[in-house]
Amino acid sequence: MRKFLLTGLLLGSLICGDAFAQTDYPTLSQVTQRLQKLGSNASVELKTLTKTEGGKDIHVLKIGTGNKDQKPAIAVVGGVEGFHVLSVELALQFAEKLVAENSKVLESTTFYIFPNMSPDAYEQYHAALKYERRGNAVAVDHDRDGTPGDNGYSDINGDGLITWMRVEDPMGDWIVSKEDERVLVKADRSKGEAGKYRVFKESKDDDKDGKFAEDLKEGIAFNKSLTYKFPVFEPLAGDIAVSQKESRALLDYLFEQWNIFAFVTFSPANNLSAPLKYNAADARKRVVTSILEKDQAINAMVSEMYNKTVTPKAFQQTNQGTDGDFFQWAYFHFARLSFSTPGYWTPEFKGKTNAEANYLAWADSLGWNSFVPWTEVKHPDFPNQKVEVGGIKPFVMVNPPFEKVGEIAQQHTDFILKLAAMQPKLEFHNLKTEALGNGLTRITVDLYNNSPLPTHSEMGTRSRWMRKVRIDIDATADKLISGDKIKLMDSMGAYEKATFSWIIRGTGNVTIKAGASHTGFATQTVKL
Amino acid sequence: MKMMNTKNIIVALALGALSLGSLEVKAQQENFFRAIGTPHKPKVEIAWNRYYTAEGLWDWMRKIVAAHPNLAKVESIGKSVEGRDILTLTITDFSTGKDTDKPAMWIDGNIHSNEIQGGEFSLYVAWYLTEMHADNEFVKQLLKDKTFYITPTINPDARNNFFKEPNNANTPRSGMLVLDNDGDGQAGEDMMNDLDGDGHITMMIRKSPTGRFIKDPLDPRRLMQVGPDQVGEYEMLGQEGLDVDGDGEVNEDGIGYYDPNRDWGWNWQPDYIQRGALKYPFTLPENRAVMEFVMKHPNIAGAQSFHNSGGMILRGPGAEEDLNTYNREDIRIYDAIGKKGEEMIPGYRYLTVYKDLYSVFGGELDWFYGNRGIFTYTNELMVSYLYFHKEAGRGNQEEQLKVDELLTFGDAFVNWKEYKHPQFGTVEIGGFKKNFGRAHPGFLLEQDAHRNAAFTIYHAYHTPKLSVIDVKEEDLGGGLKAITATIFNERMMPTHASQDLKYKIERPDYVTISGAKVVAGFVVEDEDMKKFKEQKSSPEKMAVENIPGMGAVKVRWIVSSASNYSITVDSAKGGKASWKK
Repeated sequence: MRKFLLTGLLLGSLICGDAFAQTDYPTLSQVTQRLQKLGSNASVELKTLTKTEGGKDIHVLKIGTGNKDQKPAIAVVGGVEGFHVLSVELALQFAEKLVAENSKVLESTTFYIFPNMSPDAYEQYHAALKYERRGNAVAVDHDRDGTPGDNGYSDINGDGLITWMRVEDPMGDWIVSKEDERVLVKADRSKGEAGKYRVFKESKDDDKDGKFAEDLKEGIAFNKSLTYKFPVFEPLAGDIAVSQKESRALLDYLFEQWNIFAFVTFSPANNLSAPLKYNAADARKRVVTSILEKDQAINAMVSEMYNKTVTPKAFQQTNQGTDGDFFQWAYFHFARLSFSTPGYWTPEFKGKTNAEANYLAWADSLGWNSFVPWTEVKHPDFPNQKVEVGGIKPFVMVNPPFEKVGEIAQQHTDFILKLAAMQPKLEFHNLKTEALGNGLTRITVDLYNNSPLPTHSEMGTRSRWMRKVRIDIDATADKLISGDKIKLMDSMGAYEKATFSWIIRGTGNVTIKAGASHTGFATQTVKL
Repeated sequence: MKMMNTKNIIVALALGALSLGSLEVKAQQENFFRAIGTPHKPKVEIAWNRYYTAEGLWDWMRKIVAAHPNLAKVESIGKSVEGRDILTLTITDFSTGKDTDKPAMWIDGNIHSNEIQGGEFSLYVAWYLTEMHADNEFVKQLLKDKTFYITPTINPDARNNFFKEPNNANTPRSGMLVLDNDGDGQAGEDMMNDLDGDGHITMMIRKSPTGRFIKDPLDPRRLMQVGPDQVGEYEMLGQEGLDVDGDGEVNEDGIGYYDPNRDWGWNWQPDYIQRGALKYPFTLPENRAVMEFVMKHPNIAGAQSFHNSGGMILRGPGAEEDLNTYNREDIRIYDAIGKKGEEMIPGYRYLTVYKDLYSVFGGELDWFYGNRGIFTYTNELMVSYLYFHKEAGRGNQEEQLKVDELLTFGDAFVNWKEYKHPQFGTVEIGGFKKNFGRAHPGFLLEQDAHRNAAFTIYHAYHTPKLSVIDVKEEDLGGGLKAITATIFNERMMPTHASQDLKYKIERPDYVTISGAKVVAGFVVEDEDMKKFKEQKSSPEKMAVENIPGMGAVKVRWIVSSASNYSITVDSAKGGKASWKK
């Protein structure tokens, strides 16, 4: 990894003048230092929500000015997958750019930034033995044999990386790809292809059950253990959804932040380069499994904006959510607008169709050393068979070389700021007061949502965890001849208006207030 | 002996020197006589015709423990929202082994705070088992074999609120968290108001020239609708209360609302799909305490949750979407126990939640079964059948008025009384009290508690009971011997429900031979046809995936030496068994 990064740096154009410039993704202590530096800013509150089983802090930055809780807010979440180290850097850089260069937006929007939800797993990137880790530090019996974590990875070739091993075996169902001989693909039985290899993650059968790396020495994956389509009993998910300290702490916190109207999650799932698809039948079911129709239209609109803002052309972006993940939870179970992007993908290169072959062709063209050549090893579980270890190095397919991050972070910052500019915005218009005689005044006013977004997603109107738009008039009961003292509205559509009128007795001023935490409030004082 | 006086005889009796003759002596001298089926001289005298607050229940639990230290222990398994202890009794014969080494039955009550009698019914089980133990062979053997974990209230905060604060028969139901029910940004800003100060939230009616009701001339408690061509005298205003926040609604934002029985981690769904759900499974500390206890006690094989009302013995699934979770083999066992329950508790019907009641995602019984493979029932206690042995249906007002006339003599009803309401003017307030309808009247409590206790005892009895029988040896020549042991389960429940097997929820059962040199080990698939399944690693400790109910598994070892060997069985839900040559 280090070598590959150095190579990248030499070839790359980014030679930064700053002596302290980061050359690789930060360690957890570097992340903490940057958070603390951010926390010293007047508009930033840095808080630790909990400590993970591994003793790592789960941080949140609440960034805003004035009455932060009464302005619409966007939550930005990184590290939902521990191996996706880019996501932590993107969340961090967004916070840094927000505070340093874009603080004006804080007048109207509040931001919650959760830079790293998987610090236990993230640490593996910097560990002596590097592998793409998802689980936290809790002991879990993934294969449910009565003993937790009794068959993790083994570094058979001693290179400090967990890659793959292939075992020559006529009963195997893998063969060498025609696009790249380094890459293995499944034999196509329908075309009568015979297999040549069995393929496993680099490991030994530690618990002698005939299976390899089936009971990893890592715990629960944050992004596989939330409530939407929770994959109960599956490895890395556990027995009960939201069972972990970090997931409970995050949700407990979010359920108290009534002003969040949208989430931007940096994770392998992607509903930004292309929106989620609407399926009428699944949307109608009691347990809803399709984005709702009106929300799909919002997703499409935001997606279009994303594609104008973020330049890399989408390629092989098929992950639109996985069971128990965070980005779908934020929509399906928390009813907020929810967007996710991996931030980075390998561009289409030389017409390759296989993702790994495509990646390798591209990496080769840039001179990146991102492949461990297949090399024969002695393997205790296959004493009489040829076993080779090799494959694409961990992390490189989802995390670009660090020098690429600056541009990605800038474009995604721009995207989030544009999303903030779209937030629901309630305004009063066309105020009219009419004297009816005998000390009575009729007040008529339009409430207008001056935004391309509705105040509530379609899902949001169903959720008790989003407040309704509330219109209050501060006239006392004896003065209020007609009209509602308190009126609640389930939602106001994009650029929608609603007209209200009251008849008030007496003189002086009355104040009308309308809104909800996640839409912000409009107020209008009326002189009688 | 000839010097023994009356006092000595009683002391001897108390020490357990029982004989028929001495019983008669005692009865004559004490002016009361043993009734069959009831502890005769209980060390803890509990009146079973009233309800106890959380503290009242705990007081009895501690007294049971103090009176029966070898049969009962009490512990706090966690804290409620308001910081009360969740107290759990462990009932077993501790002289015959640790509670955790025996198959166990979990019993709780009162998850819905207004469903109060679950507290007393659960307590009754503990009381009955401990007090009957000295006199009854069945109970003696039961507590040798089994453990009962009994938590009379898993909602102590709101149980007390139900008793001590103004409520109706359906409130609070949740615990004491106060949420924003109407989405106006404020929580609990318009709670119920006990206008007449009697502790019961009843109904409000008002005289009105356009009203469509009159008071029944034969029974002024009863409001009756007039015909389409008739003029009425009263209008209904709904629940006793005020519009506190001036939004035009009465009592619209009180305690809760959430449902503690939608908070469990099996097929949990959010509030917009399953009303009453909270943030995620086990948001509530009370439920979390139960969950953690159950996770730490894999010996729990059966569970019972007491609710009210309607006279039902319910099994899952709670939702049609979970139909496939409950598979045929397990349903056979559910049916066998549930149908027996119908016989034991007249007026109660054995039903399935999703099709006979309503849909529930995130319910307790589905979590116990789906997530832990524990056979679980929910009983909806109290059924109107108990009043007159007629099927008048749930909440039948005519019948309830008659009950209060003939059996409770007006104790159940608050008569209409005028009240000057700040928003509605002169109204009348009245109606049934909170402790009528869903709760048993005092005179029906003990009998129904006993019948339901008997049902849970029957359920607990049918958790697995394992023994090693029929150990056969066979000389294979060449110094080798085959040992075949049969492990028998003489009860209905298997050590692993089929749901458990499907997901490998609980570890396998282990059958271990010691004192023998094992060459190979097998699970016998068909002894006569010599079909054996070999276990290559650690053959001395055979892993058996399940020991079926009323059935057996056979394990076979080939050993090169064995003289004084022994065989032990270790099952999470089936307990332990051993055999020695």
